[in-house]
Amino acid sequence: MAADMLTLFGEAQIPLLAALLLGGCATKALRVVRTKAVSAGLGPTALFPLRLRAPVAVFMCVVEFCLGVGLLATSSHFGKGTPAGLIRLSTGLLFLVATFALIELRSVRPDAGCGCFGDFSQAPVTSRTITRSALLAVAALATMKLGPITLPRWPDQGVALLLAVVAELVVLGFISPEIRDFLVQIGYSAPCELRVVNPEQSLAALHRTAQWRRHSDLLTSHEPTDVWRELCWRYFSFPSTHAGKDAELVFAVRLEQRRPVVLSALVDTASGAVVPWPPATSRSARARWRGTLRVRQAHGADPVPHSEAAGLPMVQRSDGF
Amino acid sequence: MVCCDRCPGATTSDTSHFARRRLLKAAVFQPQPGPPSVAAAGSGGSNAGSAGAATAPDVNTADRHVYRTVTGTITDISPHFITIGHGAGQRRLALTADATAWRGEPLEPSALSPGDEAVIRIVPSQSAIADRVWANIGRVCGTILESDSERLLVAECATRRPQVVVISPLASARIKVRLPNLKPGYLVDIIGVRRRGVLHGLIAPSPQPRYRSDHLPPHVQAGGRLPEPITGSAVWHDATDEPYGVLGVFYPAVDPGAGCVEDAAAKITPGQAQTYRDLPYLAIGSALHVRNECTNIDWTLPVAGCAPTARLFNDHCVACETSPRGRIADLTLASFVALGGELEQGCFNATMTIGR
Repeated sequence: MAADMLTLFGEAQIPLLAALLLGGCATKALRVVRTKAVSAGLGPTALFPLRLRAPVAVFMCVVEFCLGVGLLATSSHFGKGTPAGLIRLSTGLLFLVATFALIELRSVRPDAGCGCFGDFSQAPVTSRTITRSALLAVAALATMKLGPITLPRWPDQGVALLLAVVAELVVLGFISPEIRDFLVQIGYSAPCELRVVNPEQSLAALHRTAQWRRHSDLLTSHEPTDVWRELCWRYFSFPSTHAGKDAELVFAVRLEQRRPVVLSALVDTASGAVVPWPPATSRSARARWRGTLRVRQAHGADPVPHSEAAGLPMVQRSDGF
Repeated sequence: MVCCDRCPGATTSDTSHFARRRLLKAAVFQPQPGPPSVAAAGSGGSNAGSAGAATAPDVNTADRHVYRTVTGTITDISPHFITIGHGAGQRRLALTADATAWRGEPLEPSALSPGDEAVIRIVPSQSAIADRVWANIGRVCGTILESDSERLLVAECATRRPQVVVISPLASARIKVRLPNLKPGYLVDIIGVRRRGVLHGLIAPSPQPRYRSDHLPPHVQAGGRLPEPITGSAVWHDATDEPYGVLGVFYPAVDPGAGCVEDAAAKITPGQAQTYRDLPYLAIGSALHVRNECTNIDWTLPVAGCAPTARLFNDHCVACETSPRGRIADLTLASFVALGGELEQGCFNATMTIGR
């Protein structure tokens, strides 16, 4: 009985994975149609040089479509055995590669969305997005040895299957940032760029985060020296010190109701340079930034603009006086 | 309180942290160096240094095609040269053969008079050659407080003295076609010639909104994400109490949490300000890439203040093609000219991208 249930649960993964792949492909294609630019896609394509982004985006879309159709086509007796196993293995590998790409993307472009479902995936990559990709990889690899899918043989089995699928969808929904974007898209919820959020709310949210607990020891004052908001992010700048010199600890808090994404950096006040975290505060961030440095050397990163280039309001003049 | 539209007494003394915001924002969103023990041994600092001291974008390259302006009082004028005086000294500029001028109407530059307040457009990449002169031009944009058959008293914003506008009899019929409701409570936008502190209105650059400024039509928020880039009408505002030559955008949707002086003076609580068009919230110092669709000139400008009046308008700009409704940027005079805008037209069709 338990073995049957496991088999049944495994069989439910095939249509689910196929639906996710085809959905991902369709939403990406819709975005391309809407923006009229192939390279407009978000996500891991941002890791590639500009000229390769369009071909990579097209390749990803085609691969998703082929695997989605392949999973459905080989789900029954057609192509059973090696072809079905290969398709499922490829799907698992795709999600595995996606998992690592998302980890890398989070390091290199912490503000970028995963782009998994086109316009719906604009929220920054979080551990939940990465977990989802990893779980889907496991789900795909677990179906490799599965035989052809058959209909449930008795009603209870059908109900159990339905419950299992619903439970899995709930879990996927919980770890999918796209749900919020979907609500925005249908007009149910205001886009975060338009939400009115008090600075006090953002500060309270910041105080509840691990980033704050990790770095607050570096602050010389808990009063922010500057607070501002741009689009979906609220920024807090606090006075700090680094190697005996004045520094600024900057937090960017995404304007979300629950569990906001928080990013931070330590900046030397005099030079404006980003300085490394002291070892005591960077233990958990170590793994994340280890890969980052490698990527910066390989691809280069956008330069941090000088304050002069930032365009000081009210003093820049347009003539020779 | 950090911002306002044309605040009396606005100074440059406390604006350095606005410019610093872009630096700090870039630092947060950039890959960061790890601790010295993890980063390439001994090179953590240098890596960090390179991040902070990375070469800034070549501003001069971007500036090549934008117009520069000189503002001052004409002290001497001839068919080929114009000399203007300013607190910083005098400046003599050559005029191109096809240079034109405006003082209520198009005219030859030599028809201008010493004593006229001039805005002079300098030819791109030529520091001493001018091709366009606007003399005594002024603009009043706001809500009518009082009106009679010839004069209007217009409140531009809660922190500024109301402006008197005299409707020139010659332009009265033309203005009333576009501004049919010259009654208290209605919005007006008039360009004209300034004489002794009074604007003599000659041009209504866009049709008047049909609603009163305190009764904007109920706003229905469109579903979905905001479009990017944003298109709409970009206007300029009069620089009577603004340091001349300032470059920047007064933006209609500065973060309510920032505490716009205008809103506080008008007793508007954060987030309750009336606005015709939804625009994403930004801060003072945010970078906006503005393109003039009529001239294809674009430039990145900082948000320099709130635009509490611009957000009330629902007009199109028809400078070249018809823009979508709503004003998306209220540019300083120098920024408007820099992007190729014609001051007497009052607006241009703009596409705006928010600097990431």
